[in-house]
Amino acid sequence: MTTETLLQRAGELLAPFAKGANNPETNRLDVQIAASDLPTAASALMNASWGYLAAITGMDLGTEANELEALYHFCEGAAVTTLRIHLPREGCPEIPSISDQIPAASFFERELGEMLGVTVVGTPDPTRLFLPDDWPVGIYPMRQDFKQEQAAAVEPDKTPERGWAGNKFIVPIGPQHPALKEPGHFEFSVDGEIITGARMRLGYVHRGIEKATEARNWIQNLYLLERICGICSHTHTSAYSQGVEKLAQVEVPERALAIRELVAGLERIHSHLLWLGVAAHEAGFDTLFMYSWRDRETVMNLLEELTGNRVNYSICVLGGVKHDIGAQHSVSIHKALDYLEERIRYYLDVATTDSGFLQRTRGIGMMSLEEAKRFGTLGPVARASGVKRDVRLDAPYGAYKRYPVSIITDDRGDMEARFVVRMKELLVTCFTIRTIVDNMPGGGIVTRFPRKIPAGETVSRVEAPRGEAFYYIKSGGGESPTRLKIRTPSICNWTSVLNKAVGHQLADVPMLIAGMDPCFSCNDRMVTVRRKSDSNTMTWSELREYGIKKYGPRK
Amino acid sequence: MKIGSIFNDVIKSFFSAPVTEKYPFEKPETAVRFRGKLSFDPSKCTGCNLCSKDCPANAIEIVIIDRAAKRFVARYNMDRCVYCAQCIQSCKFKCLDMPNDDWELAALNKDSFAVNYGKDEDIASFMERFAVSKAEPVQEG
Repeated sequence: MTTETLLQRAGELLAPFAKGANNPETNRLDVQIAASDLPTAASALMNASWGYLAAITGMDLGTEANELEALYHFCEGAAVTTLRIHLPREGCPEIPSISDQIPAASFFERELGEMLGVTVVGTPDPTRLFLPDDWPVGIYPMRQDFKQEQAAAVEPDKTPERGWAGNKFIVPIGPQHPALKEPGHFEFSVDGEIITGARMRLGYVHRGIEKATEARNWIQNLYLLERICGICSHTHTSAYSQGVEKLAQVEVPERALAIRELVAGLERIHSHLLWLGVAAHEAGFDTLFMYSWRDRETVMNLLEELTGNRVNYSICVLGGVKHDIGAQHSVSIHKALDYLEERIRYYLDVATTDSGFLQRTRGIGMMSLEEAKRFGTLGPVARASGVKRDVRLDAPYGAYKRYPVSIITDDRGDMEARFVVRMKELLVTCFTIRTIVDNMPGGGIVTRFPRKIPAGETVSRVEAPRGEAFYYIKSGGGESPTRLKIRTPSICNWTSVLNKAVGHQLADVPMLIAGMDPCFSCNDRMVTVRRKSDSNTMTWSELREYGIKKYGPRK
Repeated sequence: MKIGSIFNDVIKSFFSAPVTEKYPFEKPETAVRFRGKLSFDPSKCTGCNLCSKDCPANAIEIVIIDRAAKRFVARYNMDRCVYCAQCIQSCKFKCLDMPNDDWELAALNKDSFAVNYGKDEDIASFMERFAVSKAEPVQEG
C-alpha cells in the first residue's frame, strides 16, 4: 500500500472521532480527538492492524494557551498518524489509558504522568518510571514553568511500593546487577525457579536531555543528543539533523547522505558485534565474548580513521557531514570489511552449531509473530519473530533510496533466531557499505544552514542498530527547539521482555534481557536532581541500623 | 550440532602475537582526523565569536582586546571541551584547529586545563584586566 492510501485508510478509521484533521506533511496525518474518544480511536486503528504505537509526546503549550497537548504517534510503513488531544493545564488533567489495547503504551503513560502531571486513568502501573523516589510530589519537569530549584530532593512520604502485595516470593535484581553494565531495577516474582511476574524501574541514568535541548541552540543540541547513547551516537545525530533539515527545508548534498549511511552501516557492525560479545558473556561463553570484541576493534579503528573518534563520531553537522571519504579511505574500508565478513560468517556458524551455546539459546524467549506485533517490538528482536519492520525499508530516508538494503527476518522467534538475524544483517550491511564506497555520488559534503529554523513540527525516523529511533521536533521559529521528543527502540522492547519472562526459569533472565540488546542510557533521558549534601559515610553496623530503622524490624 | 566449534580459533590464537599496545612505552599513532587539543591563530580571527556561540560545552571564548589590530585572546577550557570540532566547522576564517598529535592531556592539576591563546602581550594585558576584576584564577598555558 502506498503512503497516500495508508493515510486515507487511517483517516476513514478515525473519521467518527475526528474533531479536525489535516496533513502537516505528505506522509503525516494529524487528527484532533477528545480525550474520552482515545481508547476507541486507538482500538479502531489496532483492530484494522493499522501500524503500531511509536510514541506518546506530552507537551506544555504554556500559560498563555493554558493547555497541555498529548500526541499519540502511530506508524505504518512511511505513514505517521498522530492523535492530538488537548487537555486543560489547570487542575487535574485526565486521559484514559490505552494499555489494554496496546501493552507498550504503559511505559509512555507512566512517563506522561510523571513528566507532565497528566493522570492516566486505568493505567496498570502509575508509579514513577524515570524520576527518582525523592523527587517532590506535584512538580512536573516538562511543564514550561518548571524551575531547577523546584527539583530539591524531599524525603519520600512512604517507602515506595516495591513488589506486590500478597504471598509471593520476589527476587529483586539491580540497579547494580550482574547481567549488564548499565543500571536498571527488575523485580521478578517467582514460584520456585519459574517466573510468574515481572516489573521494572528505570531512570538511574536519567540526564534530563529532552528538557536540556530547550535551553540550547540547534547546533549545540546536535552534540548533546549524540551523547544519549555510547553505542549508536550516529543514529541520534542523523535522526536529529534529518528532522531539523526537513524543518529548515534545506537540501542536503547526495554525497553527504551517502557518507551518513556509510557511517551508520559501520556503526551497525560495531553495535551488533558488541552485542554478540555481551550476549555470549551472559550465556557464559566468554571465549566468544573476547573474540568478537577483538574483531570489533577493526571497525572501531576504521571509524576513527574516517571520523576522528571511536564513539562520538561527530561527523554529522546540520546541512551535511564534516569529513569526506577519499580513495585512500575506500581502500581501508574494503580491507577491513574483507576481514570482518570472514569473521561474521564464522560467528554465524558458531552461534548456530555450538551445542553448549545452543542450550542457552534454542527455544528460549520464544515470541510469536502475533505477540511481537502486539507488544510493539522493534528492530532485530521483531525481525527474529518474522515482523517485517525496518525504517530503512518502510520509509527510506537519506541515502537509503539510492542504496537500498534487503531485510533479514527469521520466523523462529527464539534467542537463536535473534543471533542469526543480527549476524546476517551484518553481512547485508557489509555489502551495502561496499556498494556505497564504490558508487559514491560527486558534489559537496555540506551546505549552508540557517541559525533560526522556521516554526513547524516534524517527525524523523531512523533505523538504529536496535530498531527504530523516533524523533518529534517542534520549532517555534527561534534558535532553539520548543519541544524535542526522543523515543529510542529499547523502551518499546521492554514490554516484550517483561511479558516473555513469565514462565521461564530465573536463570534465563540475563539471556532474555541481553537478547533485546537493551540500552539504558537511551531510555533514560530527563531530569537531574541536585542535593545540598548527598554524601554520607556509614560503617557496616550503622548501615544495618539505618536499614532496620528505615524498613522496620523483620516480621 | 558440534561440541566446541570455537576450538579452532582458540588454538590459532595460541600462536598469534598479543594485540595489546605497550602504551606508554610505545606511543600509538593516532588517526589523521583524530581531534586533539585545540589550537588558535589570532591573525586570522575576526572576533565574531560564532565558535563560542555554537560550542555545546561552553569551552571557548574569544576576548577582543583590539579588533582593528587583530588583538584577540582565546580562552579555552580543555576540561569542558567535548572535542566535537563544531568550533572549527563554525569558524569561517580557519583560525581554529585540532591537531591529532596533541592528545596526552591528562593532568594532576585542574589549573593547567584553562588555556589562553594569543600574542604574549595580549594575554598579559588581558590577565592584567582580569586580575583587577578577580573573577576566577586563570593560568597561562
